[in-house]
Amino acid sequence: MSGIVCAIRGGASSQPTIDQAIRTAVATDLPVYFLYVLNLDFLKKGSQSRTQTISAEMRELGEFILLAAQAQAEQQGVSAQGIIREGDVVGDEIIGLCHELTADYVILGRPKGAKQENVFTHEQLDRFGRHIEEETGASVVYPLGDNS
Amino acid sequence: MKRYGKLLFVLLILAAWPWVLREDVQAEGADVQTQGTAVSISPLLTGYIRDAQAQPVLDAHVTAYAENTVLAEAVSQEDGRYTLLVTANTPTPTEITIHVERHHFQAADYVIKDSDLEHLQQSHLLQIPIITLERHITPGFWIATFVFMGMLALIALGKLHNTLAALLGASLIFAVSYLGTPLYDGLYIFHFEDALRYIDWNVIFLIMGMMIVIAVVERTGVFQWAAYMAYRLSGGRAWLLVVILMIVTGIASAFLDNVTTMLLMTPVTIRIALSLGINPLALLMPEVMASNVVGISTLVGTPTNILIGSYGGIGFNDFLTNLTPGVMLALVGLILYSLFVYRHDLRPAETGAGISEVLLQRLAERGRITEPDHLKKAGVVGAGMIVLFVWGERVHLLPSVTAVMGATTLLLWIKPDIEEMIEAVDWTTLVFFMTLFISVGAVQEVGLISYIASGIGRLVGTNLTLAMLAVIWLSAILSTMIANIPFTAAMLPVIGFLSGNIPGAESKVLFYCLSVGSAMGGNGSLIGASANMVTAGIAERAGSSITYMYFLRKGFPALVVTVTLATIWLFIHF
Repeated sequence: MSGIVCAIRGGASSQPTIDQAIRTAVATDLPVYFLYVLNLDFLKKGSQSRTQTISAEMRELGEFILLAAQAQAEQQGVSAQGIIREGDVVGDEIIGLCHELTADYVILGRPKGAKQENVFTHEQLDRFGRHIEEETGASVVYPLGDNS
Repeated sequence: MKRYGKLLFVLLILAAWPWVLREDVQAEGADVQTQGTAVSISPLLTGYIRDAQAQPVLDAHVTAYAENTVLAEAVSQEDGRYTLLVTANTPTPTEITIHVERHHFQAADYVIKDSDLEHLQQSHLLQIPIITLERHITPGFWIATFVFMGMLALIALGKLHNTLAALLGASLIFAVSYLGTPLYDGLYIFHFEDALRYIDWNVIFLIMGMMIVIAVVERTGVFQWAAYMAYRLSGGRAWLLVVILMIVTGIASAFLDNVTTMLLMTPVTIRIALSLGINPLALLMPEVMASNVVGISTLVGTPTNILIGSYGGIGFNDFLTNLTPGVMLALVGLILYSLFVYRHDLRPAETGAGISEVLLQRLAERGRITEPDHLKKAGVVGAGMIVLFVWGERVHLLPSVTAVMGATTLLLWIKPDIEEMIEAVDWTTLVFFMTLFISVGAVQEVGLISYIASGIGRLVGTNLTLAMLAVIWLSAILSTMIANIPFTAAMLPVIGFLSGNIPGAESKVLFYCLSVGSAMGGNGSLIGASANMVTAGIAERAGSSITYMYFLRKGFPALVVTVTLATIWLFIHF
């Protein structure tokens, strides 16, 4: 199995990443695997008792976001799948999926304005990109204008 | 016959017993009166202890003594009353001193002599004038104050989980009281037994009962269905969708807690926004603001209302009559404001450019009630609870009892996995409330609240209008910076004091002002309400960031609009 791994969160800030994944897929004729990482750490400061219900709701939201990305890809003739993983660290989930799929490419975008601890800064993104390449052998591609 | 005879004998003995006892008492009294050197006065002295704000002082140690001989000792009760029963035999005193001592107050003496003493000897009873205790600032005062402020800061800055911050506060207070006092008496704050008195169990059980009911309702899919129906009803018109979603969220928040409402409404709202191709924040921000505003229309809508209702003796009906119309007025203002502020963001949907059929189809598939049977039963029980909330006041049925009865009925009826249901109760929140009550109790005990109350009292004097404005706007502004639950809990004794001292405030209008200010103030900033944080947390995970500044820009004007309208209502109504 091979393909392109593209982690997204939805919203306008993920659009360049999705576009880049589609462009790469068109160029390489590989399928795209959109990844949504379900992270419920915001509940830690609130009501943990709601975790079960909220987890299901967030999973549904993640599927929805993936569906929107898949629809875009399929409109341009690209084969796309959506994958949801649960975890606190997005990076770990990306590496894990790359290993599973023996991915050829990883599209790494950094959502603008994100201030979460688990989201990359530009410097971390560069470092993480090199780390992925060393760990998985996949080539890291950055969306145009995001990290050039 | 013999058996009936024995029974008659027993009954006669029982009937005669009070007279036998009375004879004994009279005989003892006669001894006291006839002994030449014994106290020849009636042994009953009674009176009240108040603080400088005329509030009753509980647990004051009162001693009556004459010529270095202790005649009697007592402890003041909740209403500040004490009763001294003089039992010691002493030579007839020329004066009796009533000495009052209590931690965190200066000791006070009252001397009974001359005519009072004569009156005491003649009437066997003396009502002592109210003894007022002045506050005494000890190192314990400063420690309790710093601990409380530190706890608020930790919560506001998000450095510790709310519950852990409150638990830390309570633990520090106990540590200082128990470990510090043997070294230096001034470090005393209060004991564990005293602290328990400050926990409002009515609040704890009401929240617990409602949590169980909510846990059942949230799993039925009713929120998802309601949000989808909002979309259907709007016919794709974004402005109408905003209005309907605000009303739906508001109604849900009036009966369920705002955090749960937003936890469940936010994901489905984002899905609708994605389907329509509009900015999710154009729907989410009006929703969360509506939740904060309309939540206070009922007693059970927000934890702050539950606190206010329990402390101020304000029932479900009172909130409906005195606050709900004002809240509706504020909601209308908020709707108009939201439509104006987000007019540009709502346009893509108007043109239909961004609508995704694939996503809409998915939305329709998931927008259904998943457990109709449970929802039906929850509806019946919920309706019964509302009836009891409304009518129960006539028989002094506490809201907490209604909530627990409702929750139990629902559990018996639907027979869910009980472990799962008990887990659905947010115990961390309940512990937060208990430890918060203890921390607030500590600053109440050492006198900080009294000083704040006196300060506000001096500022507003006896002017009710000024007091209303001060309470509403101060609490609204402060609620944008500090968590409104600890703020409200700390303000309640202050409001209680002002209500008792400002003419016209006995209508409890200041409690409603606090409710409006602390809840609607939550719209002023991202950290102003837990529901804001939860909404931002979920939105962030869907790629729509709500930053502190973004919330401030959109939320603060909403605060001004809604609080102004609610203020106008309170002035008209009261």
